[in-house]
Order: sequence, then structure tokens, then C-alpha cells
Amino acid sequence: MKHPIRHAVMIVVSVLMLLPFYWVIRTAITNDNIYAYPPHLLPRDPHPYNFVDVWYLIPFPRYLLNSVVVSVITVIGNLVLNAVAAYALTLPFVGRRAVLLLLLSCMLIPFQATIIPAYLITARLGLLNSYLGLALPMLSTIICIFIFKSAFESVPRSLIDAARIDGLGEWRIIARVLLPLSRPAIATNVVLAFIWSWNSFMWPLIITRDATMQTLPLGLARFLSYMEDTTGALYAFVVMVLAPGILVFLMAQSAFIRGLTAGATKG
Amino acid sequence: MTPSALLRPLPPGEGRGEGDTARPSPNPLPKGEGFLGRRRTRQSALIACFLLPSLAIFVLYRILPLFWNVVLSFQSWSPTRPAHFVGWDNYQDLWSYDDVFWQALTNTAIWIAAAPIAIILALAIALLVNSDLRGAAVYRTIVFLSYPLMTVAVGIIWRWMYDERGGLINWALRSAHLIDKPLGFLGSFDLALPSVLLTDIWQVIGFYMIVLLTGLQSIPPHLYEAARVDGVPAWARFLRITLPLLRPSLFLCAVIGLLNSFTSFDLVYIMTNGGPGHATELLITYIYKLGFGQTRFDAAAAVTVVQFLLLLVLTFLANRAAGGNAGAIEH
Repeated sequence: MKHPIRHAVMIVVSVLMLLPFYWVIRTAITNDNIYAYPPHLLPRDPHPYNFVDVWYLIPFPRYLLNSVVVSVITVIGNLVLNAVAAYALTLPFVGRRAVLLLLLSCMLIPFQATIIPAYLITARLGLLNSYLGLALPMLSTIICIFIFKSAFESVPRSLIDAARIDGLGEWRIIARVLLPLSRPAIATNVVLAFIWSWNSFMWPLIITRDATMQTLPLGLARFLSYMEDTTGALYAFVVMVLAPGILVFLMAQSAFIRGLTAGATKG
Repeated sequence: MTPSALLRPLPPGEGRGEGDTARPSPNPLPKGEGFLGRRRTRQSALIACFLLPSLAIFVLYRILPLFWNVVLSFQSWSPTRPAHFVGWDNYQDLWSYDDVFWQALTNTAIWIAAAPIAIILALAIALLVNSDLRGAAVYRTIVFLSYPLMTVAVGIIWRWMYDERGGLINWALRSAHLIDKPLGFLGSFDLALPSVLLTDIWQVIGFYMIVLLTGLQSIPPHLYEAARVDGVPAWARFLRITLPLLRPSLFLCAVIGLLNSFTSFDLVYIMTNGGPGHATELLITYIYKLGFGQTRFDAAAAVTVVQFLLLLVLTFLANRAAGGNAGAIEH
């Protein structure tokens, strides 16, 4: 093996990064008193009861449904709105520079810095405690518009002109010419929109009022405040909530990283 | 094929980039008249339709809130009475009477000051993973894995890691005979902030690493070869080639670190909710408590303005340190 020291360092780093995952999975499948000291490093007689408990202790299916609905709305919204906005930005029009400037300055405003007025605005729109209200602020994302824009710009002009001469309207140019040639950008959009919406906590915390509209992260927080850290079911819940995010990330890692770094290098 | 398609005045995309709005139109007809003009008006309408939904969302949820925050911070607001202008009162209250505000401001400053430590660690990992190391992709995935995870779940995982009886950290420290009694990390006034910070670093370090890796990979290898031929030692190659060319990436990491003081709300809320006392209170958790705990939207808006200004100034300074145009976009 070349570079034994580098490998040794990276193995130590990897173990440190992975240990918390191991510890929570171990606790989730352990049956006995989770407070036993000294703790067993390996799970003794592992079992799935904690995962079953989650379905009975909390309205897990309801949280899951809400999370899925909000994520689906967000992903579809991002695909459609970002694609058409990006296409418009590849065309020449009066005020194009002003629009670009507006988008870039919006990128510097963190969403958390807008919560008080954003709550008041959503309240005036009558969208508190609704799926649309949960998804609306995330329905279009500036980073993703720029990812689509650079993908569209790399499609040869001649192809678009040929499509236009053949009489295709702008909608069809997007749907039939540009999008099929921008698969990586689509993947990036889907992955980023899904992960952002799936993980989102502060916004749902502010605008949902009752358990029937709450998403999984809120379910977790609620479970934590009811039970404190006293039951293995809490950690089973954590594992169940993390699994989809980890799966999506591992399947689409390159799309995710490309999106984040593209967004980062765009300022 | 219709002749109109061939006569189309301005192929889209040809005038891309700067100055396309100022360029004189090749269309001899006045705007809006005749067939060509009509086609153009139609296209403008379409562009507007394409841009409008996204722009509406950004105006509604970014621009408008920014200004509303400023207005609100100069008003006295309550859900029952109409708002009225009170000048600097909200800021004066924060400055003179609000100890929690000062504590939160200090903690936020510590939070931001810890970012360079994480960035240096991430740079070390990025340098290790960037070399011709076998299995570098696996290491990269492992280090990055914690970043896209739900922060609420990460907070719960780490509460458990820090637990006095069931936690791995206390067990490890006790087994190594470094401590006699278990430490209540998250319940201690001294240890709570560093403990939550450590979790935050664990989660974001992978993102810093990825940004720095992208920067490292964009450095042309022939620079290193030329330096090696000239007999420049490794440390000098790092100082003279790597670091200067990595400036834009380091600037981005700094910006991410600054924004992190806003986005860490989830983690602090779950792990300590600002406690014990206000030992881990950040400005953003205080904004939430003022706004949605005490319904003092005016005071919350004032704190938001303070934090936003702090970020703007620090971003400006980081940009200056990185050479002035590190954040330049659109080439």
C-alpha cells in the first residue's frame, strides 16, 4: 500500500465520522435498558421492536405523508419554475442584467433572516398550516436556476434554431429539446429540492399549527419533547427518517455535489 | 417552412452577456409594429411569463422580508394594535437592557470564529483525499455523508452521544480514565457551547472539504511540475501555489461559515434550545424566541437586522481578504 500514513489518518477520520451513525443504529436495535452502564459496544440480541413501536407511539404515517406531499410539490415546482426561468435567462431581453442582479442579491439573503416577515406574509396569504404554505418559499431556487441556465447554454444554438424553424413553440423547445439534453441538471434539481424540503425544520415549525400538518422533522422534535431520550424507539425513528435522505444521497452523490459546488462557485 | 422564421430579426442567444440591452436593434421597423415587431412582443410576453413565478417567490420571500424587517425594527408592533413608528427604541432596548441579546451576540461571534478551525481541518482532509490515494472516493463519501442529513436527526444522535449514561463519549473518556464521573456536556454552562459547536463542525466539515477539493482540482498540475523541476520544497509549493490559487474556494468556505450562524438554528433548538440558561443562545434562536415565543416581532426584527448587518460586513471583509473579486459571478 502506498502512503500508509495518509491511509491511517483517513481511516481515523472516517471512523470518527461514522461512529455516531453506528451508535444510534446500535441503540435503535437494542432491546435492553439503553441506560445500562457500561454500555455494550455491540448490540445484544438485536431486534426490530423499536421500529414497530414508532408506528404505535406517534402518527408516523401522517408525518410521512405530509413530508412526502411537501417534498413532491417542492420537487415539481423546482423543476418547472426553474427550467422556464432559466430558459428565459438564456434569451436576450430588456432588463436581463437587472434580473440577474436581483437573483444574485437574493442569494445573499439567508432564508432564516426572513422568518418574521415571511410568517406575516404567509399569514396574509391565508396559507398558514397548509401544504402550499409549507412548500411556497422553496418552490423555486436560485442555485438551481443557474444550474439549468448553464446546462441550457451548452446546448448547441443550431439545434434550438432548427427546432424553431420547424415550428416548435417555446414550451416544446424546453420540453423536447433542452430538457432531454440536460439530464444531469434535472438530477441535480431533483436531489437538491428533495433534500432541502425533506430536511426543512424551521419553516414548518413556524407555520404549522397542529399535528395533522406536521412533517417528519417536527415529528422527531415532538417525540423528543414527549419522551426525552428515554426510549430506543426515538433512535429507531431517527434511523427511519435518515434512511431516505442517505439513500437519495448515495444514489445521486455526483449530482448532489455538482449542484452544491456549482451553486457555490456561482457566488 | 415559413418565410417569417427565416426573417427572424435577432437569433436568441447571439447577444448574450453584457450590453445586449443597449445594442441597437437590427430590426429596421419600429418596435411593436409590423410582423417582426409583433413576434418580438410575443416573445417578450413569453419571457415575462417564464420569469414571473420565480421572481414573485423571490420578491415575496427574500426582498420584501428584507425591507419589512427594517421597517418593523423601527416600529412598535403587537398583534392587537396597529403598528406605529418608534424610531430607535427597539435597538436602544437591545443595546441597554437586553443581556440575552449580548450573550447571543457573543455566542454567535464564537460560532463564526470557530469556522476557520473547521475550514483548516477540512483543508487538511481535502489535501489528503486529493492525492493519488487509493480509495479516495470512499473517504470523500464518508466525510461528506453527514452534510445532507436532517439536522434535527443529527441533533438527536449527538444528544445521545453526549449522554451521561448511554453516551459513547462519556464511556470512552471514562474507560480511558480521563474522567472519574460522567460529564453532563449539554447541561454544563462551560461545555454546552463547545459541545454543540463540535456537532456542527462534524456536520459541515464535509461541505467545506468538497468546496476545497473542487478548488484544488482546478489548479493546473503543470504549475506543481514546474515548481518541482525547479527544486521548490513541498511546503513552499503549498504556500506559493496552493494557498493563493485556493483563495476563491477559501472565500466561499468563509461565506458558508458565516451563513452557518443562521442555519444552525435546527441544531441548537434540538440539542439545548439555547440552554442551560442562555449558554448556547445564538442570535437566530433568540430571534425565534422573541418572535414566536413572546410575540415581540418588532424586537425580533431588530435582532435580525443586527445579525444581517454583521454578516454583510464580515462577508465584505472576507471578500477583501480574498482579493476583492472572489465572489464574482458570470465570469
